[in-house]
Amino acid sequence: MDLLIQQVVNGFTLGSIYCLVALGLTLIYGIMEVPNFAHGHLYMVGGYVTFFMMTLYGINYWVSGLIAGIVLAVLGILLERIVFNPMRNSPSTNKFIAAVGAMMFIEAVARVLWGSDFRSIPAIYDNVVMIGGVRLTEQRLIIIAGAVILMVALYLFLKHTLIGSTIEAMAQNRDGASLVGIDVNRVAMLTFAVASLLASAAASLSGPIFLVYPSMGALIIMKVFVIIVIGGMGSIPGAVLGSFILGMTESLGATYISSNYKDVIAFAILVLILSIKPSGLFAKGGH
Amino acid sequence: MKRRKSIWLILTLIILLVVSGCSKPSDNTPSSTSEPSAEIKTINIGYTGPLSGGAALFGKEVTEGLDMAVDEINEKGLMVNGQKYKINLVKLDDQYMPDKAATNARRLKSEFNAPVVFVPHSGGAFALQQFNETDGFLIMAYTSEPKIAKAGNKLTVQMTSPYNLYQEIYSKLVMDKFGKKLALIPTTSQYGKDWTSAMVPAWEKLGGTIVANTPVDYNKEADFNTYVSKALAAKPDVLFVGGPSQPTALVIKQARQLGFKGGFVVMDQAKVEQMAAIIPMTDLEGAIGVTPVFQYPSDGALPFVERFKAKYNGKIPAWEASKNYDHMMLLARGIEKAGNVTDAVKIFEGMKAVTPITDASVTTPIPGIAAGGGSMTPGVGIMIENGKYGKPFIIPNPADTTGYNLEMMKKSEAKS
Repeated sequence: MDLLIQQVVNGFTLGSIYCLVALGLTLIYGIMEVPNFAHGHLYMVGGYVTFFMMTLYGINYWVSGLIAGIVLAVLGILLERIVFNPMRNSPSTNKFIAAVGAMMFIEAVARVLWGSDFRSIPAIYDNVVMIGGVRLTEQRLIIIAGAVILMVALYLFLKHTLIGSTIEAMAQNRDGASLVGIDVNRVAMLTFAVASLLASAAASLSGPIFLVYPSMGALIIMKVFVIIVIGGMGSIPGAVLGSFILGMTESLGATYISSNYKDVIAFAILVLILSIKPSGLFAKGGH
Repeated sequence: MKRRKSIWLILTLIILLVVSGCSKPSDNTPSSTSEPSAEIKTINIGYTGPLSGGAALFGKEVTEGLDMAVDEINEKGLMVNGQKYKINLVKLDDQYMPDKAATNARRLKSEFNAPVVFVPHSGGAFALQQFNETDGFLIMAYTSEPKIAKAGNKLTVQMTSPYNLYQEIYSKLVMDKFGKKLALIPTTSQYGKDWTSAMVPAWEKLGGTIVANTPVDYNKEADFNTYVSKALAAKPDVLFVGGPSQPTALVIKQARQLGFKGGFVVMDQAKVEQMAAIIPMTDLEGAIGVTPVFQYPSDGALPFVERFKAKYNGKIPAWEASKNYDHMMLLARGIEKAGNVTDAVKIFEGMKAVTPITDASVTTPIPGIAAGGGSMTPGVGIMIENGKYGKPFIIPNPADTTGYNLEMMKKSEAKS
């Protein structure tokens, strides 16, 4: 029984990290209608910026995370301006290739600048707490709490602020949004900024318990892509639910079936969901 | 509009500054600086290994050792039949893939006329063994895979003692200290599987039981908590772990956080000292693995570590660097002895003739070259006890026919 609870908590931690990255990916998909494959690499850069802020400049963990968030938001905007904006009227294949190109470019730059070494962000909240027979480090609690806070903040931002609702408006109907006077360019930049900030937050939160290295982005983008397919491309509730489904499947599947087949189980669920609901759990209409 | 553009320019600059500020100041790519002159001729020596991709870091550690040896050799110059030579190490990238290693080796032989090719992985070495005798080049394999020497190839040198030396003595030592129940959390690579299949019978032979088996891809997972929780649910006394050092350290750390109090058997791919760099020594308590180079009981080990640190900004060398360094030195002496710079067979004979090398010029003594090119060097293990490195213990290599291993054991016993 303890093992079950332990693994549910582990699945929840994993799901929280996936969720922050998946939310950004799905937001960008909503307005661009192409998956931003470089999104995992923004997560990676977020991890590196946090790492270097802490180790090179000795800045406090939370401030480092904040700096990383700002740097990544700007980087996200630059990515939109340089890579995706010039392509806004191109066929989606072109955007697709541009996204893959951006992904490879960012990883290569990271390797040149920072090398291939594994780094680890110094862990400050490393104490173990016991909650009802489950052993957790404080950092894991911070991950879960941080993810929940950011999800709520994102929800409030999108639903209850004017600027946030422009993102939703544009995701629902691009032409309609332009007709009522929403600046498409500004919304695109804003979306990239918010999405990159979320990815960076995921990296800063998970950094102290994981490792930071150039290929970490490529690993997470695979999973997150599966998540937004499960949840329905462009859907925010879908991304949240999909993340926790994948997190739980990974941890419970590895425990009660076999750790050898963990990825098989995750993909079997993908196939199952897509065969019942081919456009994902919460598909947006009209695509 | 103009103002907008300048804002973008400034933003781009800021980002570039932040990002470049993040890069580490060290840049230690060694370059061959010496100009080719009329009197000094060049011997090309080949290297095929990962220079990019997931194993790039491993490849870098290997080439750092090779580069250091080449620089030291070239400083003095190599005298072959009265002619002065320098070594030029030609490095090709195979991304850890056997097929690319084979293509690279062919190129190194035909295009660069390299009589010797260094390859730091078993898959590549196997691939090269298919055609190196006919193509006429010597393989210098950095791998502890026992099958490399067993293949009976006539032009192979294996640089490390085989991994099957370790399982039995490791098992015995941790079992005595912690108990008989072992849970396996090995990496899913071929190497991990091979190690595991040697580990299980060794453990069971000593009367132990395997209580859980949760293999996990150390290169692809970020969080090991799930696997570690599952393994710990079987209440093991000892965990078998191993893959690249840094993820292995994470596995050990998470096991401790989940309340594990027992010992660890660490596969030789993970290096204790590299793990100690990212997790506290107290977490590594009761871990048994290969000795760090700087703890190795030989005259050459510490001087090598010091020279390496001076060359590479204080970086501590692991076995990847030191074994490749040693064998480049052995090769250089072999070439001098053979009086030949192109014939792989003669060079190999020369290398055999200059062994044993037991002085401080190499990190670990090279007693000789065993049948099939196997290493005769003993294995040396270490256990972390009371938050410190314990005394290194010598594991005799049965391939040694010179009696050197036994002598070394006697010496180490006499010391304690």
